[in-house]
Amino acid sequence: MEELGDAKETGRQRVKLLYRGAEADVFRGEWCGKPAVYKLRKPLLYRLPDLDKLIRSQRTVHEAQMIHQSKLAGVSAPHLYYLSPPEALLVMEYLEGERLKTLLLGAGLTRERVAALGDAFGRSIARLHAAGIMHGDLTTSNVIINDDVLSLIDFGLAIHTQRLEDQAVDLRLIKETLTGAHNAVSKPFMQSLLSGYASVLGSARAEAATKKLAEIERRGRYARVE
Amino acid sequence: MRGHLKVLGIESTAHTFSASLVTERDGVLTNAKDVYMPPEGSGIHPAEAAEHHLSVAVRVVHEALERRSERGSDIDDIDAVAYSMGPGLGPCLRVGAVTARTLSLSTGKPLVAVNHAVGHIELGCLLTGAKTPLVLLISGGHTMVVAHSNGIWRVLGETLDLTLGQLLDQMGRYVGFASPCGRKIEEAAAKSSRYLKLPYTVKGNDVSFSGVLTAAKKLVEGGASFEDVCYSLQETAFAITTEVTERALAFTGARELLVVGGVAANRRLSDMLEIMVTRHKATVKVVPPQFSGDCGAQIAWTGLLAFRAGEFLPRVSDSVVRQSWRLDTVRTPWRS
Repeated sequence: MEELGDAKETGRQRVKLLYRGAEADVFRGEWCGKPAVYKLRKPLLYRLPDLDKLIRSQRTVHEAQMIHQSKLAGVSAPHLYYLSPPEALLVMEYLEGERLKTLLLGAGLTRERVAALGDAFGRSIARLHAAGIMHGDLTTSNVIINDDVLSLIDFGLAIHTQRLEDQAVDLRLIKETLTGAHNAVSKPFMQSLLSGYASVLGSARAEAATKKLAEIERRGRYARVE
Repeated sequence: MRGHLKVLGIESTAHTFSASLVTERDGVLTNAKDVYMPPEGSGIHPAEAAEHHLSVAVRVVHEALERRSERGSDIDDIDAVAYSMGPGLGPCLRVGAVTARTLSLSTGKPLVAVNHAVGHIELGCLLTGAKTPLVLLISGGHTMVVAHSNGIWRVLGETLDLTLGQLLDQMGRYVGFASPCGRKIEEAAAKSSRYLKLPYTVKGNDVSFSGVLTAAKKLVEGGASFEDVCYSLQETAFAITTEVTERALAFTGARELLVVGGVAANRRLSDMLEIMVTRHKATVKVVPPQFSGDCGAQIAWTGLLAFRAGEFLPRVSDSVVRQSWRLDTVRTPWRS
């Protein structure tokens, strides 16, 4: 346990480091007695202090907005508890449950379960895309499953976009993660994901996105010709 | 019998016409160049640059061959002629290709086509001793974060519009300097420490500088001091660049960061990168300034690596130029 010294207004909560990223440190703690996640964007010393402060606070606000808008779009995401732009601190709900990554790596996963998970994931992504939001970091680590509720976390790279290419890039990252880390279930999972995606967005728009995905992959393959 | 390869390289992608001799054993032997200088306040005019290249080509090649550091360094002694096939300005590239073709036809030595960007990277590795680094390629033609994997230098992040070199050049030209303006911008920036707000655009792993340029020009227009604008421009653009480099460093877990390309000569940028990498327990290797800009050595050395791996153009008619030729489409059989 360590003191989160920066979070003065939060009464110097005792928190535990979960993850140290390139841009932010993520801690586990409590907020008004509820389990919470503290995401703190650290100062980057190579940037001018004023510029650095501005960017960190802007991004913290942006991330909170993206989480909020994703929820409005019908996607389950952590509740926001507290936002402090000057500290570049975001406190949100700690979601109980399993990471999709852990579930997919676990043994004894039935075919039906894989299909249901893929379908639910596909529907969530489609709701984001319908609202013009690209998550930007859709790995299986950023999906939490609790009972039958699928939630998305880490909106740090999320952006507003209407470009088909960006939506396809979201799908491509999932596919990459699946073939890389979950090869055994990757095909049936992706199939259910795409059908869930299409059931929300409509087959025409879903097809356009998968076509774009194939185009991006072809570009990738071209680059990989040995 | 030498027992090791010797290659002549010709570079002519933009403002620089350069020729260089390298050997497998000794690295860079000679690196002759002549740089086209556009009139003040303007950039490279491709046709005029090509005319410049034509007028200096014979002399520069002679210089590269004559400034020999070992016996018998004449044109018949080389094993191959490498040239920059692209990317770059068409008229300029063609002068290099014609020069290389002529040398190849008159000597019977094979032609090797080199990608200019890959050339920057491979020469950087040779000169700094970097093995498989994360690479920051920053010049007038490129602003990219690159890492090698599966036989290709892959792009992890890049500019969506202007390159860093273009940003600095266009700022400099706006106040009447001649390209390249990086040095002058750096000198002006060193005289200020007053930050004026400029847009800061990072999109995932990619960067954008067009908004920074427009805003900086507006500041000058509005009467802000040129020194302050240069300072703010550098601080903003370099922080953006450092940030995406940091993301790539965290993602790849690379231990070495190699910085190549003309803008690598900027001290403020390498200072920022230095601060950034210490947090990741990595090191920065910056290509020596005399080789950071475009030069024949990058083409000659990469040509040697490619030729040693069995690559050359089967027919002279294959020696085309490719104005747009992304480095992530180039096979690198010399790296496993």
